[in-house]
Amino acid sequence: MYSLAVRQLNVWYGQQQALRNINVKFSERRISAIIGPSGCGKSTLLKSLNRLLELNENVRIEGQVLLDGEDIYAPDVDVVEVRSRIGLLAQKPFPLPMSIFDNVAYGLRLQGCSQREIAELVEAQLRAVGLWEEVKDRLKAPATRLSGGQQQRLCLARTLAVRPEILLCDESTASLDPLSARGVEELLASLRNHYTIIMVTHDIDQARRLADDVIFMWLGELIEQAPAAQFFSAPQAELTQAYLMRRIG
Amino acid sequence: MSERIAAPIPQASIQPKSLHLKRRHLEEAVFVALMRLCMLSAAAALSMILAVILWRGIGALSIEMLLQPPRGSFYLGGGGGIANAITGSVLLASGATVASFCLATPLALYLHVYARRSRTAIWVRLTLDVLWGIPSIVYGAFGFTVMVFLGLRASLLAGMITLTLVVLPILGRTLDEVLSMAPRQLLETGFALGAMRLEIARLLLRQTLPGLFTALLLAFGRGIGDAASVLFTAGYTDNMPGGLLSPVASLPLAVFFQLSAPFPAVQERAYASALVLTIIILVISLAAHLSMHRLGRYVVR
Repeated sequence: MYSLAVRQLNVWYGQQQALRNINVKFSERRISAIIGPSGCGKSTLLKSLNRLLELNENVRIEGQVLLDGEDIYAPDVDVVEVRSRIGLLAQKPFPLPMSIFDNVAYGLRLQGCSQREIAELVEAQLRAVGLWEEVKDRLKAPATRLSGGQQQRLCLARTLAVRPEILLCDESTASLDPLSARGVEELLASLRNHYTIIMVTHDIDQARRLADDVIFMWLGELIEQAPAAQFFSAPQAELTQAYLMRRIG
Repeated sequence: MSERIAAPIPQASIQPKSLHLKRRHLEEAVFVALMRLCMLSAAAALSMILAVILWRGIGALSIEMLLQPPRGSFYLGGGGGIANAITGSVLLASGATVASFCLATPLALYLHVYARRSRTAIWVRLTLDVLWGIPSIVYGAFGFTVMVFLGLRASLLAGMITLTLVVLPILGRTLDEVLSMAPRQLLETGFALGAMRLEIARLLLRQTLPGLFTALLLAFGRGIGDAASVLFTAGYTDNMPGGLLSPVASLPLAVFFQLSAPFPAVQERAYASALVLTIIILVISLAAHLSMHRLGRYVVR
């Protein structure tokens, strides 16, 4: 089953084309990893999936991104609705300028949840990311006081609190120390059966550890998409083979 | 392999001996000295101004001076004080700061959250820059023309409005700069969580709160020191401020009138008034700097 599909997607930054004719389907409740060298368009693809890309200046987007069959770029679509169904975990943990509790509660308040609901969901999400025991006594402290790894888990809790169906991860462990990175990675693995996760990574080994499906991109084009086992054992395209052997990229 | 790597040149000692190295050290020393000299001259300017107004004005400064309006013979050396000008100036500057803050904040937020780098934003910024550069006497003349046209006389209200026009571009542009210091990821994070643009604006305010407050205080400092814009519009009076529609005195004009008096005793009072004005601005500036840290609790750095 696919909950998200990209059809004939082309993206330009000014004159420069960043994505060329991308067609891809992301399996539901699986982890899809998008890999490729820097500048290959993997982050661009990811950010086109929840319409964050259009915040950039000078960007032109053509094509369709279908969420349960509906094009999120259709003119009558409410972009706020789209973004609350497709969450994002950014590369660098970015706490909002408020307390630990308020960070997780932020999206819930936007959605108009009641105080009781918020209190319950915040605790549940903080437990889900394994942060509750560490922060339960200082929920009112500024979120910036947390360590990098804790901040990233907080950001994950904040994203999941909105209850999205799809989770986008943009190299979400890249800025963390190895131990914290492993912690976040294990969290993502544990979410595998509950969310459709689409992650961008430049770390082939991470893709190997986590991904159910792998998508390889090169210079704005999608070269190969395959189930992880097949992708790593018997890559079809020559470029993929070369990349996996670390001869290119 | 190893032949291709240049071997380190053996050095007799690590004392700087070579001529080239000596020259580089000298260069460094000369430029550091020059930079320190520049810093010193800025600091010296402030200390000299403070020293002069302290020296000339401290003798005339008294409780009576601070708490009483001028009596009849004040400008001939008689009793009374400048309470009329102190309250007048504080009222003028507060009104203008509040009014321009109410206009400048939505303006700056709109520039950052909605207009972003559009043509509108470019034009608005250019307009503010031009307005900033217009001398305040021009604002005063403009305010005066409008007042004459409407048949109004000099008043606290007219002074506030004119001063608002002076402060608005300064505050607008400063807030614009403050908001542009907010990390880009703040917008992205908010949007990704499903925030509307207005809710992003609120996030921006939270993130930049210390900077906003500082800008506000500095605008107040700028407003309270302006003489030319209130000269015709707020007028001058020896009475305490009596309401929005009656004229008020202000500190810069008090300094001006006292300094133009032919009596040394009155001239000393001009320095005392200048001292009061400077102390107000000094305190405000200090408060602005301190507030940066106090309000920054939740700010993401």
